[in-house]
Amino acid sequence: MPEIAAPAAEAGGSRRRLRRRRESVAQPGRDGGVWYPRWYWPSFVAPGSVWLALLFLLPFYVVFSVAFGTVDFGNFGQPVPYYAPWWWSFETFNETLSKFYEGTAIYRPPLFRTFVYVFSATAICLVIGYTVAYYAARAATKYKGLILIMLVSPLWISYLMRIYAWQGLLEVDGPINFLMQPLGLGDTNWLAGMHVTVILGLVYGYIPFMILPIYASLDRIQESLLEAGRDLGANGRQTFWRVTLPLSRPAILAGIVIVTLPMFGDYYTNDLLGTTKTSMFGNLISEQRTQTGGSTRMASLVLILGVIVLVPMLYYLRETKRAAEQA
Amino acid sequence: MSAAIERTSSAAAPTGYFRNPWRKPRILQGVTIGYLLWSLLPVVIAVIFSFNAGRSRISWQGFSLRWWTQDPTDSLLRDAAMRSAMAQTYKLAFLTVLVAVPLGTLFAIGIDRWHGRPARTANFTMLLSFVVPEIILGVSLYILFTNLLQGLVPLGTPAQVLGLISFQLSYPVIIVRARLLTIGPEYEEAAMDLGATPSRAIRRVLLPLIAPAILASVALVFADVVDDFVTVAALSAEASSETLAQKIYTASRASPTPEVNAAATMMLITTLLVVAGGLLLYRRFSRGQRDIATTDFMQL
Amino acid sequence: MIGRHPMENRWSRRQFLGRAAGGAVALPSLSAILAACSKPGDDTGGSGTGSAATEIPIATLENPVELPVTMDPIAADTPIESGPLVLYNWADYIHKKVVAEFEEEYGVDVEITTYNNMEEGIQKVANGQVTPDVFVPTVGYLRRLVERDLVMPLQHELIPNMLANVWPSYSDPGPYYDLGWNYTVPYTIYTWGIAYRRDRVSDEDAAAQGWDALWNPEYAGEISLYDSYGDTIAVTIMRNGSLDVNTSDPALIDAAKVAILETINENEARLTINGVYAKLPAGDFTVAEAWSGDIVGAQWYLPKGTGTDVLGYWRPEPGQTMIGNDSLVVPAAAERPRLAHEFINFMLDEKHGTDNFVNWNGYQPPFTSIEPGALIDQGVVPENLSDAVVTEAMFVDDLTPVELTPEVEAIWLDAWTEIKAGA
Repeated sequence: MPEIAAPAAEAGGSRRRLRRRRESVAQPGRDGGVWYPRWYWPSFVAPGSVWLALLFLLPFYVVFSVAFGTVDFGNFGQPVPYYAPWWWSFETFNETLSKFYEGTAIYRPPLFRTFVYVFSATAICLVIGYTVAYYAARAATKYKGLILIMLVSPLWISYLMRIYAWQGLLEVDGPINFLMQPLGLGDTNWLAGMHVTVILGLVYGYIPFMILPIYASLDRIQESLLEAGRDLGANGRQTFWRVTLPLSRPAILAGIVIVTLPMFGDYYTNDLLGTTKTSMFGNLISEQRTQTGGSTRMASLVLILGVIVLVPMLYYLRETKRAAEQA
Repeated sequence: MSAAIERTSSAAAPTGYFRNPWRKPRILQGVTIGYLLWSLLPVVIAVIFSFNAGRSRISWQGFSLRWWTQDPTDSLLRDAAMRSAMAQTYKLAFLTVLVAVPLGTLFAIGIDRWHGRPARTANFTMLLSFVVPEIILGVSLYILFTNLLQGLVPLGTPAQVLGLISFQLSYPVIIVRARLLTIGPEYEEAAMDLGATPSRAIRRVLLPLIAPAILASVALVFADVVDDFVTVAALSAEASSETLAQKIYTASRASPTPEVNAAATMMLITTLLVVAGGLLLYRRFSRGQRDIATTDFMQL
Repeated sequence: MIGRHPMENRWSRRQFLGRAAGGAVALPSLSAILAACSKPGDDTGGSGTGSAATEIPIATLENPVELPVTMDPIAADTPIESGPLVLYNWADYIHKKVVAEFEEEYGVDVEITTYNNMEEGIQKVANGQVTPDVFVPTVGYLRRLVERDLVMPLQHELIPNMLANVWPSYSDPGPYYDLGWNYTVPYTIYTWGIAYRRDRVSDEDAAAQGWDALWNPEYAGEISLYDSYGDTIAVTIMRNGSLDVNTSDPALIDAAKVAILETINENEARLTINGVYAKLPAGDFTVAEAWSGDIVGAQWYLPKGTGTDVLGYWRPEPGQTMIGNDSLVVPAAAERPRLAHEFINFMLDEKHGTDNFVNWNGYQPPFTSIEPGALIDQGVVPENLSDAVVTEAMFVDDLTPVELTPEVEAIWLDAWTEIKAGA
């Protein structure tokens, strides 16, 4: 031990005083490598884990407690959470859930609309996004860097600002209607609850998240693979279908999930570009913030939304784990 | 032979174009340029109209700094509410970066090296916090702070900071982890073979190697917090805890004036500056990377 | 070569995790854990009953209520605190210049936090997220605020302007919801009506249609309703022919809901809070459900070149619409109650209150010095908006929206949720 410590004292001692540490000094041991104490790496992970436990997992438990609690109408509808699971009452939760399927099912249209919007917007994002990513990755020449920067820049621009910018352009006497006049659509009130507006707004907002993973994956495809395809007789289109597209499949899936998940909880796009006629699931939640007894209903809706996005979330997590293991 | 070639190239130019496998991708180019215009033009217009002399955000009435400095109550820099919103935005961004980046970096280093069941669970939870829609997290934290932790954590800046850190924590983890995957444990092991303690090895060897990733996550988290709206709105209390993003949101649902455009432009400038700064520092660190590593080895 | 075994004197992984988990669990306050173990429903009870002993009946015009005073008002000689004064008010509901004058006179800052509807405002005060010094609730929430000890009684000696300037009926005997003005002073008075653009709808047309103007397909895409369940449902009830604006009849409420959905879906009616003063002058809306103050205030939002004669306001015959007022209260948790009293007195001052109304707000304060006829003569209120002026006589005839019981409120809210969900 002294023999090993001496060189360290010589080398580092000139820069600063070498404090003798009682903790483990590196010992050559198994694997020919080093041996860390058992608590070493966990202590790195601990602060983040404690944080997550307190401010990520605990809130979910409180959401359960509030959703399965009751409402105190005398106190302006404040929630009364039941923290112990055996007190849980499913009355308010059932009431909210029943709004999805029972009777007039007032929550069913927003739910249905949300699915339609998300799927349409994701599909459009995919088509446009893939095309743009393909061009940027494979075909652009000396402007590649510039194009990349311009593709990435919307990520740095606030989502809110981008939708706000569109809100101005879509006003009845705005430039969009001006451009639409030759098509005879110059008088459309785009902001009066049109589904197209909201869907295109969602596309506009989330498409950069689709472009990036696909670009990254397409960029990594080696030229040699494509040339091999060509050598074997495929023309451009076949090369695309049978070589490029399958190779970029994981990125497509990743892009779809990255875009779909936040879209399910989106409410501000509709707030800015639509009306109650185009309300989404997120609007149901945000509406409850200001209603009497709203906290409990919000909790129930959050649980339901969580279940809806659970499947794509778990799928994404499984895929990233698999990708990490392969890497 | 030459005649055949001539015939092919002159016959019906469009199909000739399509048959050429090395052609310029005009359609793709067109789509891409169209997309870029569609993507960036509205923002450019919004920025330009922040300098509009009139109240409208679509009909140009002349150039003026009215909404930036001149109007006594409704200009960005003189409206006390807007100034406080700006201050709040940067305060939240700064505090969040201060906590989230170190916490996330530590977590990433630990997760990368620690193999075991609890590590996988912690990693899973961290990734979960990345994919959860923000409204779920925002509302859950709101419910937490108004029920279980009522009184302990007041809504407003404390709650907003805690909420933002929770939401942003996964970004540094993912970025640093990605970088760590390309760095094996060899460097630290070599350092420790030469007699460094593990902490020293990490501090002198590993941290400089992942410094670019840390810088990237600082820039990313900062920009993300400046733009964040859902969490901040869910956890805000009174006016002094409102950020620029919230002001833009409420104004755009009410009667937006170009002052809102100015506020949005301000946000844009901030994020661009931070990102540009981060990028420059990243380049600087990465360029000297190999040198840094070797000199550290010399010292050990 | 083999030195100290790393396993010596080290926590095993299991121990470490166990301790970390234990630490995480122990963090929430112990009292919360203890409280969580008992079923909460036992001590708070169901709906309606408050804490402690007070249970106050709902106030109506026929049964006015004197709110019990359970705590003492602040002493009249409390020193004036230094700022900032936190004012929690509706958005765009006070003239910033008047506030600036208060700031200058008292040398303090005033922080204005706003809400866009009453439910949102009340939620934040009820769970303590916002602790204002002055609050502007609608009268329907007063009873519960007092029951929950969320407002403090006013020290009358510190508000001499109340007796000097305000209509005497507000102090003696006091309004029906607060006999003896223990907790409130009135801020503004207003009626409900229809605001319209006179360049698109003639006055006779507006008067002939009445509330039905909001259902007229001719104005499709240009109709605005208030994003507030109490107001819009009540107005629709009146449009449907009933005068029971505080109804508990599910059929009436349901009919109102159906009608509102009809105009939203077929005529693209929009729910806004500021549509009247922010968008009607710009021409975005042609007809709008309006509080009288909103249309008077709209004059200051007109684009350059448009005169005030494009603005019109229709109110029904006496007794066919609602009338109400907003009040200023001082929450019990106010950190600067003395300053709050000064502010209230300041707003009740003839000059400042009138300045607020005349130069920006549009909402009339119930001052004895303000004579409705004189308002038109002085040009404060354009003649085409003469119906927007509120007189004391109107309070006798017109309908008063009062607080709903929780059960009835639930029916109203359910209908509103359905409307907002866009079914």
